[in-house]
Formats: sequence, structure tokens, C-alpha cells
Amino acid sequence: MDIGKLKKYSDLAHDINLTKRNSLEKMRARQIMAYNGRLFRADTETINTVSTLKAHAKEFYILDTNNNPCLIKDPEDFIRKLIERNQETLITLSQLHDSLQRRR
Amino acid sequence: MTVGVLLYCFDTPDTAYHKLATKCIELVKKNLCLPITVITDNTTHKKLNTLDVSFKIVEQSKNNFRFYRGKNVPWYNMERTKAFYHSDYDTTLLMDCDYFCFTNNLLEICKCEHDFLLHNTVHDVTGKDRIQGRLESILPIVWATVVMFKKTDRVQRIFDMIKHVQQNYEHFRNLYRIKFKNYRNDYAFAIALHQLNGQISHNEFIPVPMNMLPHEYDVLEINNQSVIFKYNNKVNVLSDMDVHILDKEFANAG
Repeated sequence: MDIGKLKKYSDLAHDINLTKRNSLEKMRARQIMAYNGRLFRADTETINTVSTLKAHAKEFYILDTNNNPCLIKDPEDFIRKLIERNQETLITLSQLHDSLQRRR
Repeated sequence: MTVGVLLYCFDTPDTAYHKLATKCIELVKKNLCLPITVITDNTTHKKLNTLDVSFKIVEQSKNNFRFYRGKNVPWYNMERTKAFYHSDYDTTLLMDCDYFCFTNNLLEICKCEHDFLLHNTVHDVTGKDRIQGRLESILPIVWATVVMFKKTDRVQRIFDMIKHVQQNYEHFRNLYRIKFKNYRNDYAFAIALHQLNGQISHNEFIPVPMNMLPHEYDVLEINNQSVIFKYNNKVNVLSDMDVHILDKEFANAG
């Protein structure tokens, strides 16, 4: 393959990698949500933690993104909102991922 | 409870900041739907007064400069220390007029109980990680580009401390071995937080990095959804992402 084609391939790879990187950052920013006056990340770690604690207690404390404790009185409502936001961001990301796959 | 955006905008001989502010205001109205107050001077106000926002006219100090694309240019950034007193809102989003909101993500930050939040990390949207802030001082940097604050006694103390740091900046610059000789709000805010926190690192921040486009990149266009930028003859698009743009040349074009 001549160097011109390799350069084009490299340019395309740069664009795809950059788009992916920025999309992940966009997703993480969108996953920040306020609940009970505290900020949480609607990521798998928070969802798993809430899910586990919910299985053992009707209400519980968890730490927010700045390590402040927050009492969760309605775990059902909290986990519903976390999953909703998490999936909203992942659907957006997956749509973009599909369009990137087509560009490769 | 009122929530609003506070902007500082002063044209300099080199940069038409009012053009940046006009775009910034348009995006805040579209995506955050919050009332806006612009702190400006008489000259800049004449170019902004068609906009539907509140204005406060001040006389700004003109003795600061910044290094931009190989030369020192005037920089009027001394007024931000008075933001606590300039703001009429219970919760304020203090923002640089070169920060563009393409999402409503900042609204979540306003809903929390924290009374003072700002960024302590950045994400370089070009993928080059040019903006690190390492080895520039012995103090961890914070970014005063976007600050959410509420009208509490604690926040008043923070802003009074920032003012004190500004008035004695040379002393604090030496104390914290800050590389840059000009006055920078980022460092004034970082120093004030460090001092008020009992000389222990402040640890409450906006939990995501601030997206930034370095000044080496030329902005070709900003529309309602995206920023189109160019570097080394390569054009890229950034969409649906809040971003702080360091290139100021596009403000002077057109």
C-alpha cells in the first residue's frame, strides 16, 4: 500500500478515535445527576452499589461524587432515575458508535 | 430561589469579546434557559445593548495582560473577584464569555446543595492533552471558567479571600511558586480555596472535567449545535458538548 493511502487511513483513524474519546467524555458529563441535593454518576458502579444496598435495606447512606454521605430514603425511585439516565447516555453513545463503525 | 448566569465582558484592543459574549448568551438562552447578567464597561455595553439581558456597568482595571500566540496582549479580568456582590441571583453560574454551553448539563450542578463548585480537571477535546497545568505551581490548579456559587456566608468569605489574594498577588505568586507573572483568576481562586481550607487541598469540585479547545486550534465556525475547528489543515467538529474555547481570533473576524 502506498504512503498516501496509509496517511489517509491514519487521518481517518485519528478522526474516529477523537470522536470516540469526546463522545465518552460527553457521556460521562451527561451521567452527572442531582438527587436529594447531592451529585451522583449514573454509571454502572453507582447502579451496582445502589442495587446491592437496596437488596438489604429499605433506606441507606451512600457517598456522592464529592464523598459526602447522602441518605437514600426511596431506593426504588433513585435506581429508576439512575438507570434511566445511564441508558439515555448509552443509547446516544451506541448510535454514534454505529455511525463510526460504518466509517471504518 | 433564583438561578442565573453572570458574565464578565470587556473588549480589549486585540479582542472583540462582545462577539464571544453574544454567542455565549445565545447558547445560554437556548440550552440553559436562565436569566443573564453581563458585567461590562461603557464601551463594550454600546456593542451589546441590543441583547435581552441585564447589564451592570463598571470601570475595569486595565493593568493585566496575558500571553497569547507568541505575544503579550491586554487582558481585563480583574472584576470577577466581585462576582458575589455583582450577582443578584441566589444561585449563580459565573461563566467566561468564551465558554459555550451546547448542553443543559450545568443545570444539574445548580440543583445540588453545594454552595461553591468549579472544575479542577480539563479534557483537551483535540486528544493531545496539551493543557495539563503540571509544574506550573506547587498548588493544584482549579479553573475559574465556570463557577457555581450560592449566596452563603462561606461563599462570601471565599470571594473576600480571592479579593485579598488579588490585592497581594505578587506575594501569593511567590509563595505558591506560580510560573506565570500575570494575574490569573484560576490561581487566585485556587489560592483562596487553599488558604480558607486551612492550607489543605480543597476537595469539592464539579465532578467532570471542563472541555477545552487549546488556542493553537483555529475556530472556523460556531453554530447552535457545534464548533468547527482546524489544525494542521485538518478540520474537526465538536457537537453537543460544553466547551471553553481559547482561540480568540474568530471573534475578530467578520
